[in-house]
Amino acid sequence: MSEAPALTVRGVSKSYGGVTVLHSASLTVPAGHVMALAGENGAGKSTLLKIVSGQVRPDSGEVHVYGTQLTQHDPISARRLGVAIVPQELAPYPDLTIYENIFVGREIRNRAGVLDRPEMAKQAREMLDVFELDIDSRWQMNRLSVALVQIVEIAKATTWGARVLLLDEPTSAIPDHEVGRLYSVVHRLREQGVAMMYTTHRMAEIQELADSVAVLRDGHLVFESDIAGADEATIVHAMVGRDMEALFPGQTISTGPVRLEVRDLQVIRGGPSVSFEVRQGEILGIGGLVGGGRTEIIEAVFGVRRSYDGTITIDGEPLERNRIDATIRRGVAFVPEDRKGAGLVPSRSVLDNGSLPHLRSFTLGGWIRPLVRRNAVEKATASVNLKCRGLGQLVGTLSGGNQQKVVLARWLTQEGCVLLLDEPTRGVDVGARGEIYRIIRDLASYGLAVVFVSSDMPELIGLSHRVLVVRAGKIVGELDREALDLSDAQEQIFRLASGQTLDVFGEQVVCTG
Amino acid sequence: MAEVPVKAGEPGGKKLLQFDKQRTTNLLLRNLMALVVIAVAVYFTIVRPQFATTANMRTILIAAAPFALIALGQTLVILTGGIDLSVGSIVALSAMTSAAIIVDHPERMVLGVIAGVVVGLLAGLVSGVVVAYINVAPFVATLGMLSVASGLAYAIGRGAPINGLPVEWGLIANTRFLGVQVPVLVMIAGFIVLGVIMTRTSFGMRIYAVGGNRTAAEVAGVNVRGILTSVYAISGALAGMSGVILSSRVISAAPYLGKGYELGAIAAVVIGGASLTGGRGTVWGTMLGLFLIQTLNNGLDILVVPAYWQTVISGILIVSAVAVDMVAAKRSSG
Repeated sequence: MSEAPALTVRGVSKSYGGVTVLHSASLTVPAGHVMALAGENGAGKSTLLKIVSGQVRPDSGEVHVYGTQLTQHDPISARRLGVAIVPQELAPYPDLTIYENIFVGREIRNRAGVLDRPEMAKQAREMLDVFELDIDSRWQMNRLSVALVQIVEIAKATTWGARVLLLDEPTSAIPDHEVGRLYSVVHRLREQGVAMMYTTHRMAEIQELADSVAVLRDGHLVFESDIAGADEATIVHAMVGRDMEALFPGQTISTGPVRLEVRDLQVIRGGPSVSFEVRQGEILGIGGLVGGGRTEIIEAVFGVRRSYDGTITIDGEPLERNRIDATIRRGVAFVPEDRKGAGLVPSRSVLDNGSLPHLRSFTLGGWIRPLVRRNAVEKATASVNLKCRGLGQLVGTLSGGNQQKVVLARWLTQEGCVLLLDEPTRGVDVGARGEIYRIIRDLASYGLAVVFVSSDMPELIGLSHRVLVVRAGKIVGELDREALDLSDAQEQIFRLASGQTLDVFGEQVVCTG
Repeated sequence: MAEVPVKAGEPGGKKLLQFDKQRTTNLLLRNLMALVVIAVAVYFTIVRPQFATTANMRTILIAAAPFALIALGQTLVILTGGIDLSVGSIVALSAMTSAAIIVDHPERMVLGVIAGVVVGLLAGLVSGVVVAYINVAPFVATLGMLSVASGLAYAIGRGAPINGLPVEWGLIANTRFLGVQVPVLVMIAGFIVLGVIMTRTSFGMRIYAVGGNRTAAEVAGVNVRGILTSVYAISGALAGMSGVILSSRVISAAPYLGKGYELGAIAAVVIGGASLTGGRGTVWGTMLGLFLIQTLNNGLDILVVPAYWQTVISGILIVSAVAVDMVAAKRSSG
């Protein structure tokens, strides 16, 4: 190992379309050192990793790997310097074998020039042995659980000599009982002198794995410390770092009769069912771990996800399930988690996007009434304080917060009765976040029944009148406003969400560790 | 932040100025095709004055008409992110269907016309259902329909063209109304009707939404499958109309009529600035693309450029048009 630290990031900045996602970040990771990169969604963690791995070109700043500057900002150059990244969304070739996945792009050939499969299988086997995995390298990739796929990815990255390994949310998709497997891989690589930087939401994981921790908030590196000098409270404070009181002013809850009633709704055929009700003016939060079945519930209520059994009643009248258009006509609005993928048509204008869900109300026999439409959309966008250059601006060119406002506003052209939101502030900067909270509260006070799913604890606790906790598709707990005001609310929710028994995940475990 | 509230208008920071410049560039790029069409026409007029005669304009228009109908249908399909390869053989199938009816029942002209269009509509409908409800890729579904329709066209004539149609059948394509041939009127009407549909109706807006982001359209309550089915049905019906017009022009029908027209139509749509991934493109753009191709073919004919060189030129043209489009897209996004 040379004298220079494994990874040096100096004054790196990046902005997208006028929004700065990274403000002059600098940090250093020595060889054999594990740095946790903490921060909320949209804090700039992934952008930083992408810059280091050459996927994104920084606007300014430098990246050095063992003293050599990354000059060409492309993945191949970064890889040549020894930087490997295991992305959050893994993209293996599911129908190829493990060894084929490992050797793709640098296949071993025998003297005749054809693939030397036995040799590749053998070498792959040795790699997996290093991590004490009892799996056959000739298995098809799709037999492996997410954790194992991840480890295969890591094996692949390290065997071509990666000296700086970046892991983006490595544990987000792994059930608890498999996390240990990943931990031991990380420990082993640290012994070999690999420098690692990884992003995570999980506090316990930082304490367990990292040598140091850096916290990003809204693109600023706000905290950096050895793990000894950073307890959980300090890290959380650095991550959140905003005045909770200002974002979530005192709640005055005045609820009316039940607007939305869900009875025995079954999302998976033969699976668990859920029942709950939401009153007029009430904001109901749904908490739980990612993959715990929260999103599925509100998607099924709206009809984008098929439900198999149960009844949904709105204002006392039953709703036809699995019919989005009928649901919309009954005044139900839905703001999906994946704003770009499921919420907006980026190639169309604010006007078109704003009028899409309630298009029927702006037309006469199929003909759009331009004035009626323009007025309604203008009013709706003004009510959410949308900042745009005009209704003709393409939605794809708006900032994340403003896009989310369009997703909200398009439901406000008509009077509604139920508002469903999935992760309403994901990827939204703090300023716009406060506004979105205000809009949600206003809508509730006008008499809407609001249901929202969130992974953001302060948001869940601060915004909700009542919280349901979901685990493995079932409602496992409920906290009312009083319980939410207690100081251990977050802990309570987390305990309910993670559960005591770990075998609830129905995992396909194919190996012994 | 240089973003300003909805209503507030003109002046702003530096950023706004930059946007205006960008907008001008975009405007230029967007109208580039119109300028190119004009430039090409001016060039031909200068080198060969007979290009700009009324007679030649008529030739261009009448040659463009059957293509125009197909290209219009193709525009709708491409806007949803699909493609319709079957239109060429639907032209043949419709022409053969009409001709088979007329040759036996010379008095039932109207039935002949309707049958031709309806056959096209049905063929398109089948493709649409297969694409929308069985989720077969549009390329594959319409490739299948290309083969089926072509086979049926041959079957109707037992492998041979149908001749000996009554002279009156030729009246459809050759009658003039206010000095303009009927097919040209149909083409103009087609452009206007579809142009209006795409910009003024909820149907048009939903087509754009489905092509721009299918999932988002679904979440917004759009009947995506219905939209998909109808664009293929419309495309088929327009191809049927085109088949009727073509067979009327030559007062006969052949099973190889319209062969390869689908590619010409796709070229016109793409040159007109539509994106093959859907959501972007206009009827106006398709019209320009179509007239660029037609003007060029006509002008090169007048210059006595051999057909094979014409093919080379139109190939280069298609790729250049899309290349320009990519540059424009990059500018407006970056």
